[in-house]
Amino acid sequence: MGLGRIMSGSSLGLMCLLLTLAGYYISKQLYLRQQRIWFAPIIMAPTLILLTVVIFKIPLEDYFQFTHWLPALLAPATIAFAVPIYRERTLIKRYPLTISVGVLVGLCLGVGSSWMILHFTHMPAELSKSLIVRSVSTPFAIEATRAFGGIPELTAMLVLLTGIMGMLICEPLFKAARIQSSLAKGISLGASAHGAGAAKANQIGREEGVIASLTMIFTGIAMVITAPVFALLF
Amino acid sequence: MIFPLNAHRNLLKCKTTLFVQVVGLCLFAWICQWVAQSVHSIIPGSVIGLGLLLLLLSCRWVPEKVVNKGSAWLIGDLLLFFIPPVVAMTKYQLILESYGVELIVCMLLASTSVLLGTAFVVDKLFKFERQQRLNHIASQRIQIR
Repeated sequence: MGLGRIMSGSSLGLMCLLLTLAGYYISKQLYLRQQRIWFAPIIMAPTLILLTVVIFKIPLEDYFQFTHWLPALLAPATIAFAVPIYRERTLIKRYPLTISVGVLVGLCLGVGSSWMILHFTHMPAELSKSLIVRSVSTPFAIEATRAFGGIPELTAMLVLLTGIMGMLICEPLFKAARIQSSLAKGISLGASAHGAGAAKANQIGREEGVIASLTMIFTGIAMVITAPVFALLF
Repeated sequence: MIFPLNAHRNLLKCKTTLFVQVVGLCLFAWICQWVAQSVHSIIPGSVIGLGLLLLLLSCRWVPEKVVNKGSAWLIGDLLLFFIPPVVAMTKYQLILESYGVELIVCMLLASTSVLLGTAFVVDKLFKFERQQRLNHIASQRIQIR
């Protein structure tokens, strides 16, 4: 089809911005009405937009002409995480040890498992290095991946995949391992599947959701701060 | 006719507040990033900004209502902001096609270990911390008596 040949650069760029916004908000509205996992925005929106770009062979430079300011909002979004931390300070003060140990264990297991993947498989270095930060939220992951020599774009995709996987595997795993406490469910979901895990935890229960979001934020901050140290291991 | 007009005005006011708050957070973020870059900080500007805003909120120099709407929107629509980088992965189509299966299997195993390992440790620790807290409360009651 080659839309790039038919339309001029800037009108195609504007179309791409509209496509991205529409794809995202339509899947969000759809999920509000039909709570099926395949309609979840984290699965449906990227799939729809990626398919359109691939099928119509839209050149990436045209796609980025106007959409490049969307990732610029990742930094203010990181700062915005201060508000939920402040709001839930009483919950944090109630279980300080559990939360901080949960964050540390999740972080170490995430980096440790990546170390195993890097050393025992034959994947190209750019791919396996982008994998290291996959279990933290995207704004933190994109910052931290530079320290390990990963590629931000690949990292963004792997973070997304990790979130989807965490959402899909958590319930059978919790059942099989007989995990019942809401704190354990929330913290493990937040530490392993970031935002998607927090959304899933919110469906399990309110307390699980809040705990998962807090863990996601703390794991992200911890990853960004410790990345230069962990990078020495790789 | 007064009510719908009022509702409309309220909605407009609501949207304006949201817009102003988001712009404010963006400006704050870009200042933090610029400062972090110019002093070659190891910690990225956005994380420094997070710490600063938390400090400002805790000291009550910035009331929560000044940032609550903007922060809720930025966090709620986080997915939208990283769709463009995900689309950019088409550049690496070849690698992903040849290592796709291996990648998915590795990621599934790794996610399972992180999820179960963390849940297991937290489950044990939670029971310990709750017991500690109960003991603490019990000892305080004895002192009061």
